[in-house]
Amino acid sequence: MRLTLRPLPGKRLADQLQQAGVEFPCGGEGICGGCRVRVVEGDIPITDSMRRQLSEQELREGWRLACSAMSAAPVTVEVEQWSVRVLSDEAAVAVEPRPGWGAAVDLGTTTVVAQLVHLETGEVEGIETALNAQARFGADVMSRLQYELRQPGELGRVIRSQIGAMLGRLAAGRPLQEVLVAGNTAMHHLFGGLDVAPLTAVPFLSPCTGPLRLEADSVPWRAPTLFLPCLGGFVGSDLLAGLVATRLDKKRNTHVLFDIGTNGEIVCASRGSIRCASTAAGPAFEGGRIRHGMRAGDGAIDSVRIENGRLVPHAIGGGQPRGICGSGLVDAAARALDAGLILPNGRLARGDIVLSDSVSITQSDIRQLQLAKGAMAAGLKMMAGEARRLCLAGAFGNYLHLPSARRIGLLPEDVEVEPVGNAALRGARLLLLAPSAREERIAGILSVVEHVELAADARFQDIFAESMALAPFRLR
Amino acid sequence: MADLSKLFDAVLNGDQKTAVAVTQEALAEGCDPMELITKYMVPAMDEVGRRFECEEYFVPELLLSARAMKGSLELLRPLLASSGAQPAGRVVIGTVKGDLHDIGKNLVASMLEGGGFEVIDLGADVPPERFIEAVREKNARIVALSALLTVTMPSMRKTIDALKDAGVRDQVKVMVGGAPVTPQFAEEIGADAYGENATAAVALARKFAQAG
Repeated sequence: MRLTLRPLPGKRLADQLQQAGVEFPCGGEGICGGCRVRVVEGDIPITDSMRRQLSEQELREGWRLACSAMSAAPVTVEVEQWSVRVLSDEAAVAVEPRPGWGAAVDLGTTTVVAQLVHLETGEVEGIETALNAQARFGADVMSRLQYELRQPGELGRVIRSQIGAMLGRLAAGRPLQEVLVAGNTAMHHLFGGLDVAPLTAVPFLSPCTGPLRLEADSVPWRAPTLFLPCLGGFVGSDLLAGLVATRLDKKRNTHVLFDIGTNGEIVCASRGSIRCASTAAGPAFEGGRIRHGMRAGDGAIDSVRIENGRLVPHAIGGGQPRGICGSGLVDAAARALDAGLILPNGRLARGDIVLSDSVSITQSDIRQLQLAKGAMAAGLKMMAGEARRLCLAGAFGNYLHLPSARRIGLLPEDVEVEPVGNAALRGARLLLLAPSAREERIAGILSVVEHVELAADARFQDIFAESMALAPFRLR
Repeated sequence: MADLSKLFDAVLNGDQKTAVAVTQEALAEGCDPMELITKYMVPAMDEVGRRFECEEYFVPELLLSARAMKGSLELLRPLLASSGAQPAGRVVIGTVKGDLHDIGKNLVASMLEGGGFEVIDLGADVPPERFIEAVREKNARIVALSALLTVTMPSMRKTIDALKDAGVRDQVKVMVGGAPVTPQFAEEIGADAYGENATAAVALARKFAQAG
């Protein structure tokens, strides 16, 4: 898929690319090379980070990194993320070209992303991103489940009609052969209109976590639809698809795939076994219960640096800050720790931390951050002790600065963390392109997966409490 | 002579080792166990609560202080039992059925113990019948219910209804708390009080104990 972008006043080309759906897996720091684009028309000047990530030959061929792209004139680029990589590894799902179009959907609690995929070439031909329309019935999973108990079926209708509208615009009249959807267990149940009661009480295990198959005439987009099966507990098919995309379960050493959100989900694959768990981080990473918190959108502070001893915020879109998103909060806390404005126990040393005229951080904001990052770090300590590498999936990685996350003790400092972007969507697309190999690949994962209840572990309370300290930690 | 102000400091600073050491030393010298509790540990936990209220302390500090206090209490409890000393009151506490989260409940339980109460902690995911049993067996006057999840809040109502049906509702005061619980909800389900946090719970328990 090609993108043509014209210069807009006050907006970097990088920001425009990100808004068009290009992911910056390492948070735009130019260290992962995951946001490669190839210039087809026009020019994007080469930067230092591009030189570090790309070879001379690649640069000559027009490859650039989207995250540091600038241009004063219109450019047309091809986005590598959206063309399927042909994997030589035998463990990869065998891609099988077939005529027509299909769609892959990542159904998140907060956002929905849909891709129109050409089934012949595997290429993405269009992307739609939207906030999950269920949000007005409750920001987090638990309040939505409670709404569903009172008004069964309504949230399912809301989301199916929203996805229908997105797919309608993407397909623009072309018939879809098949649609694959990945999402967490709550999204899976709400989408399919399943009984959510088992998800609302101990032991939070639903008997209906299998694949959902919907006939073409039962969905607004009139195509056979498969909602991929959950891994277990609250860990859904977003992580299952993530495993397919990253092939972590096929590696020789222990690898962990995790995402950071209201519910942190952790999957540990080790020598043929897969264990998964979720940890309740609360809404702080999405800006919830933070005084000036907001989602990562225009005007949200997403990073903070120190200049001449003062904290200087950067807002998404480059304008005046309107609030602060999760990654901005992590960054601000890290810099404030460096500057001695926050003590390692989370106490503010000199009152509220002022970032701009309209945005500041309070003591209670830092307490919320401690709860969120404490839950995440505790989960990693309990699940990922032997991991050779941690793969960070999900949109949060597109903004999070890893050094800051290590500084405040959200991520371990002794294990490599590799941001892998929206692995759920990539995995769903791979499975969409592999109709024959699909069943076996999924069954292979489900037959060895085991769900672990972290809160039931006697060590959890102590590990959680110790993980609330705003200080670097190690897994080993 | 054991320096007893060190016991106060150890509890306040969450230093379990020192708390236990000072307690052992004091007991060896023949100090009155009840006095150690009322003069040093209760005031220390009150100060912990005050610091938590004004956001100086957070969950980790609370847990550490509670642990220090528990270490010391474990030495004192057998002596108290044999001396026939009366606790400030008897509280049955638990996280309601369907909910596994017990960190908040543990904090409240520790603060109540620190406040001189005898605490019967039923743990997490506690069915209504267990609360009824415990109230009857221990002749408790206060019941404290905790829930962290919005979806397990209805379980609080069921527990209170079960206490009514069993005919023990009138002999106890019921207080409820937990992240999603509000004063309105407490009133709606027929609880006697809502506790915003662990220190508020201790204040409520003291009020109930004096009134009862």
